[in-house]
Amino acid sequence: MKPALYLRDKVFFLTAIIVILCIVMAVTFPAQFATIDNFSQLLLNLSIDTIVAVGMMILMIAGMFDLSVGSIVAFSGGMAGYLMYYHNVNFLLAIAAGIGGSVIIGFLNGWLIARARINPMIQTLAMMGIVRGLALMLSGAGIQNFSYEFVYIGQSKLLGLQAPVWYMLAIVLLFIFLVRRTIFFRKYYFIGANEKAARFSGIRVEKMKIWAFVLSALLAGIAGILLSSRLGAALSTSGKGLELRAITAVILGGASLSGGYGRIAGAFLGALFMALINNMLIISRVSGYWQEIILGCILILAVGLDQWLLKKIENK
Amino acid sequence: MIAKNIFLLLAFAACWSCEAPPRPAASSTAIKSNEKFITSDVINPNEEYVMVTTAINLPLYVNHDQAAFKKWGEKMGVRISILGPAEWDVPAQIATLEQVITGKPAGLLVNGTDPGIAQAIKKAVAAGIPTIVYDSEIPNSDRHCFIGSDWYEMGRLQGERMAKILNGKGKIACIGILGLENMEAGFRGLQDVLKKYPGMVFLGTYDDKANVETAARITADLLSANPDLAGIAGFDSNTGPGMALSVKEAGRVGKVKLTTVDFEPEHLRLVKEGVIDYLIGQKRELFTWLGAQFLFDMRHKTVALSGNDALAGVVPVPKTIITGSIEIDKTNVDIFLQNLKERK
Repeated sequence: MKPALYLRDKVFFLTAIIVILCIVMAVTFPAQFATIDNFSQLLLNLSIDTIVAVGMMILMIAGMFDLSVGSIVAFSGGMAGYLMYYHNVNFLLAIAAGIGGSVIIGFLNGWLIARARINPMIQTLAMMGIVRGLALMLSGAGIQNFSYEFVYIGQSKLLGLQAPVWYMLAIVLLFIFLVRRTIFFRKYYFIGANEKAARFSGIRVEKMKIWAFVLSALLAGIAGILLSSRLGAALSTSGKGLELRAITAVILGGASLSGGYGRIAGAFLGALFMALINNMLIISRVSGYWQEIILGCILILAVGLDQWLLKKIENK
Repeated sequence: MIAKNIFLLLAFAACWSCEAPPRPAASSTAIKSNEKFITSDVINPNEEYVMVTTAINLPLYVNHDQAAFKKWGEKMGVRISILGPAEWDVPAQIATLEQVITGKPAGLLVNGTDPGIAQAIKKAVAAGIPTIVYDSEIPNSDRHCFIGSDWYEMGRLQGERMAKILNGKGKIACIGILGLENMEAGFRGLQDVLKKYPGMVFLGTYDDKANVETAARITADLLSANPDLAGIAGFDSNTGPGMALSVKEAGRVGKVKLTTVDFEPEHLRLVKEGVIDYLIGQKRELFTWLGAQFLFDMRHKTVALSGNDALAGVVPVPKTIITGSIEIDKTNVDIFLQNLKERK
């Protein structure tokens, strides 16, 4: 690949920025940043966002997005917690109920958008409120004291990394393979690029759309279970603002709001980039008042630089 | 063949290094190492005390908790940092806390926003960092000390005052943030009092999501739906100004009795105007001033309770401090307003 083509590849571009940021941080804060503890914490903190961002990436490749994923994260953990704590349900059944409920929510979103033709933004915005309300009803003031088996899922460690990091890596690798190699997932690129053409070429667009929402909700449901297990608590506030973080990560990672573009590795790198910025601001003790402003400016700068480079290459 | 061997080796390494979380009984608040704490009053230039909260720019936090913490830092000549998300986002507060732990600060002051932060606090304690929770208690967190308010009592006091103002009769509603442990305790305290008065009807608890506009909208709806509404009890800092706004707009000042928490300048002004009847305030400055001082004392072993507190497993600060609350109504509001003028 020529250097110019590398620059056009957002995954490469983002990787380069991440590497530069890491070097700058390691030189500036060697004792705080360049430690195994900090890196394992960084990966742990981005694991939930990344799992959700993978689902969001598939939706955005198909030209859609889901604003209810953050609420589904709270619902899934809340449902499992509620069943285990108040009804002494076995932890595996409780997890199945949490994830199963999430899948039903995803199906409802997909069906109403694809079949009833409700605008995805309106539908998922409404669902976001409904599901957050359900999560609030289930979790109340927070549910704690889960069984050891449930807590084990999110708090055990392997090679020094906490379990959610491994789940995240497994999901990312699985979906990189699926999106690259299977016809089923390749169809989403056609749908996102030109829905009409995809329909004429025999792709069952409505069905594919429903599956995309089911998949996104399934991943959000898994993320919710992992988050509850990691925290040892089901919180009604879990996943607040996660939908926007996931969309930002996915766009940073190369997806387009109009659909047809994007790679799973991009979703991971987008989430990693945001987690890194957050980590950087905390380590450098930037006050919370400034964090939002700086984060916004860095995001604009990253996307702006990417667009500027792209234009330069096209003009050559 | 080589790939297969590498895979087997990695699989073996993975199984060998799999680490289960500690069983609940294994946790301890004892400070395990003697070396983790300094034995003199000399301040290390790198000695940093960190406050981790959520909704970092909430005026209530800025004007009370953070202001006292900053003053304490100036007085003691130590570095202080205040970190946390701008929104009310507990998982983001946990993520911040866990990242701060890796830097091993001299002490941690954690706003007890939700029981869900217990695991992160346990991590801090396990890492040997003196850790104090303030505002609301976090059960099962192993924290070294808790300094804060008794929210059940704050709800109970609001209920008693409401019953007194209304002579034990009338319809009452309650507005706050649903799903927060401290507020739910406050709601219970209020309702337990109301149960003692058969003439008082409890309409329900409503969520204003810590937002003035939402509190105002809910109040307006309650006033429309219940023309005979007698009173509303508020439970978060934004509820008071929100419900006062709607009661004023509806021309029902004095007819609908309002009680709420906190005593920000806006709350005090509304009491002076006669819109709000009763405020129950927290001694928030004490949370962070005393909390920071305790962290310093732990770090510097200011008070020794045994030959070697660390080895004896003694935590040389109080386990729990309930600072009590401040009751404000028309009879004493001027004193608090005067204090505000002097501060300016």
